[in-house]
This record gives sequence, C-alpha cells and structure tokens, in this order.
Amino acid sequence: MSEPCVSISGLSFAPEGRPVLEAIDLSLDYGHFMGIIGPNGAGKSTLLSMIAGLLQPTSGKIELFGKVLNKLNRHRLLRQVGFLDQMHDHDPRLPLRVSDVVAMGSSDYASPLWRRNDCSDAVERALQQVEMSELADRDYRELSGGQRQRVRLARALVRSPKLLLLDEPSAALDSRRQDQLYALLRRLSREEKMTIIMVEHDIAAITAHVDSVACLNRRIHYHAMQGDAIPENIWKEMYGDHVHIVAHDAGCIGCHHPEES
Amino acid sequence: MEMVSQFLASPVMQGSLLPAMLIALVASSMSVMVMAHRLSFLTVGVSHASLAGLGLAVTLSLPLLPTATVFALLVTFLLAAMPKKRGIGEDAGTGMLFAGSMALGVVLISTAGRYEVDLFGLLFGNILTVSTTELSWLLLVAAAIVFSLLLFARAWWSIAFDAVTAEAAGLPVNGIRLVLYGATGLTVIMCVKLAGIVLTTGLMVLPAACAWFWGRSLAGLWLLSVVFSLIGTWIGLMISYHRDWPSGATIVLALCCIFILSWGGAWLKQRARKHKPQAS
Repeated sequence: MSEPCVSISGLSFAPEGRPVLEAIDLSLDYGHFMGIIGPNGAGKSTLLSMIAGLLQPTSGKIELFGKVLNKLNRHRLLRQVGFLDQMHDHDPRLPLRVSDVVAMGSSDYASPLWRRNDCSDAVERALQQVEMSELADRDYRELSGGQRQRVRLARALVRSPKLLLLDEPSAALDSRRQDQLYALLRRLSREEKMTIIMVEHDIAAITAHVDSVACLNRRIHYHAMQGDAIPENIWKEMYGDHVHIVAHDAGCIGCHHPEES
Repeated sequence: MEMVSQFLASPVMQGSLLPAMLIALVASSMSVMVMAHRLSFLTVGVSHASLAGLGLAVTLSLPLLPTATVFALLVTFLLAAMPKKRGIGEDAGTGMLFAGSMALGVVLISTAGRYEVDLFGLLFGNILTVSTTELSWLLLVAAAIVFSLLLFARAWWSIAFDAVTAEAAGLPVNGIRLVLYGATGLTVIMCVKLAGIVLTTGLMVLPAACAWFWGRSLAGLWLLSVVFSLIGTWIGLMISYHRDWPSGATIVLALCCIFILSWGGAWLKQRARKHKPQAS
C-alpha cells in the first residue's frame, strides 16, 4: 500500500466558465481523517461530490486507491467508497424499514432479484456502530431527523468502505451524539484504516478528532496537520476581515494561539 | 357462487380472463415503481400519445399493437429527454405531447374511415376481443417487462429512495432510469388494451396506491399491489359480465373501491393506535 488512498492533482471545476474550485492538490494516506472547513459556497460539497464521482472535474485528476477515476472504472472504484450526502429535510415517502435503508448501502444491493444478497450481518453491525440496532424494524418515515441521519451514516458504513466521504454528518445531531459520531469516525480511521474526508461547518467541534484540517475557499488555502496553527491571514483570506480568532484549546488544530505568534 | 360459475362458463370471459389477469399482474408490479418515482404523468402522457400510434397503424394498415408499442416507446424516450433545464417541466412536456399526439391520432383515425376503428374500444378499453396474435404480443411485452423488473427492481427502488447516493454508490442512474421509463411505456400499451387510453393511468397508479397504506418494504408493497390488482380485476370483470358494463371502466371502478376501503382501513388502524396508549 505505497500509493495514497486519495490523490488529487491540479483539480479545477468551472461549470460555464465560473470557477468553483481551482488548483486543488491533496494526498491522503490510508487511515487519514481529514476535515474540510470553509465559508458557505466555498465549494466544499462540490469537492466531495467530485471525489464521489458525481461531477467531472474541468481539469486535473482524482486518483482513488492508485487508479485514476474515470467513467469506465467508476462503478468498480466507488464500490469501496461510502458517501453521506448533505441531509435534505424532505419527507421520505417510500415505506421502508430502517434495516432496508441500511441494506441499500451494501455494494451489491442493486443486483438482480434472482441473486440472493444476504447482508443482514453487515447491516446489524453498521446499525450497532451508530447505536440504532433497536430501531432496525421501525418505519424509516417515523424517525426523527437525528435518527435518520444516523441510519444514513449506517448506510454509508455497511459496505465497509476504504474511503468514507461525509458532508456535514453532524447535521441534526445533538452535541452528545456529535461527540459519539466523531469518536466512532476516529476509531474507524485508526482501527480499520478507513480514510475519512468530512465537510463540517464547526471547526471547533472537529479539530480535536481529525488528523488534519483543509481550509477551502475555491482553493485549498491551508492544510493544517495535527499540532499546526492556521495563520491568521489564512482565516482572513477565507472568511474576510471580520473574523476574530480566539484560541480555545491547546489541542486544537487550526486555532491561532496568540502566545505562539 | 352461481354468479362465479356462470362467469367462468362464459366463453367470452374464458378468453379474456387470462389476458386481463396478465395485464393486472404486470401493471400492478410496475405501479409500485410508478408511485415510487412519481411517474403517473408519464402514464397519462404515453397512453394518450398512443392514439397517434394507433392512428398511424390504421392509416398505414400496420398491425395495431406492435405499431402502438413502438410509438409508445418513442414518446416515452422523448418525454425522458425533454430539456428540463430550459424550464420545460415534465408536466408541461407531457401536456404538449399529450394534446399534440391526441390531435394527430384523431385526425388520422377520422381520415381512415369511420367504420374501421372501434374508437370507443381504444378510448375505454376492450379486453373481450383479444385475438391470438394480440395475446402472443401481450405475452411477449409482458415477458420483457417482467424481465426488466427482475433485473432492476432493487436498483429502481434505491434510486427512488435516494438517487444521489445511488449514483455515488456506482450505479449508472441515468441508464437504469431510462430502462424504467421504457418498461413503464410498455406497460402502458398493455393497459390500453384492457382499460383504454383514458383509464390506463388508473391501472398503473391505483394498485400501488392501495398497497402504500400497508406495505413496509419493497417485497410487501409489490405483493399487496399485485393481490389488490388481481382481486379488483376479477371483481371488475365479473360485474361487467353480469351487468353488461364496459370491462375496463368496471375494473377501474373496482380498484377505486378497493382504494377507498384501504384508505378507510388505514385511517381506522391509525386511529386505534392513537387511542391505545390512553386506554391502557
């Protein structure tokens, strides 16, 4: 496993000439847990969608597991990727049990009906990971927003992906559940060598858990490793002059510690 | 009982029972997907557009069902390809195609000579006169639909639930959706034979709508939808035989009654569940 799990080079995305992402270079080893932060409209979700193969880059390339992602190998490569889309609060209409929703994430769920695909063990395990086993038989439509989000996360985990892409996974979760979520992700990246890329708004909540933080606003302004401080000018470049950064925790990546500067 | 044996003894009904049940089985299976993907607009559009296909067949003396089938598939893919980004929504697209091809159909059929075509049969269905060639054509189309269902049912279901995640999981969503549109178009043509252009949507929406109150998974929904549809078709055909009512309309009415019963039952069940904790 000498090659990185994810390698992005010279990636840009400009639909109809309007630049959304520019000159993105990124390389992540197996088991790396990265947070992406940035203001609204910075292109965070777009970048995640491109790694998930939903959008084609205008230029540059994305390599997953040592292979350049293209239309032909997309189907095969993405079998090893778990993706949690941003939660939209539309009402689900289809009658489905929680366990059925999770099963939809298994990589051969969509196989023909004459092929049996029993993934009940994997479903059970994924539900345990998000502490939703007791609700396995419940109707998904009856769940609360936070419970649905945990089921959706279980759906992304059920295929035991090598790469997990999460777009604001903590949406709709209370702070206790958020902490449990980050602890679970930390454990998955350490113990199962799962590479995780997570888009979050709240930098303070994630920095204690992740290995690195990428500051994205059209391009990656800074990629801070654990122990790094993100320089103040980077914050200002990303968010404008009105930000005022206050260090809150010595263990926090990204925070600007006044005593160090 | 006497009513049932009389019904079964009638040679006309003997001939129409098999095709009617076949159509009910296929339409109710597809109706789950029509509900899940909100495709009732497509069934309305394609069924009405098929009048132009039938008109074309009459004018050019082509076989009716095969020509209508090809035409329906063309219309289906045209609707699927309608440019949504330019502000033409599926409903507007359906409206235009629907009116345009109905108009074309009416003109073609009227110029072909009034007595050659059973327009009432086309509009409201006539299952009582199925020729052997038509039956084999129905069987062929049914086989194609059932095969695509077996192949894609789970993929269609997961796309209906969450298309973005399905695509990120590596499914070729657009291609699979096109097959769904095609299968829906084919089912519409089968239904036109039974219920006619105007009533086809009833056969393709009502069974799954009845089942929606009770099903809790794809398999459950599918099974219930088929059962409701077979019961409705059987009852409808029997009443139409005894009362001499038009068969397609009677079947759709029977399905409507089942829907109302199913709705009422679900309402009562929900009410009972609400009151239960207070009673205990």
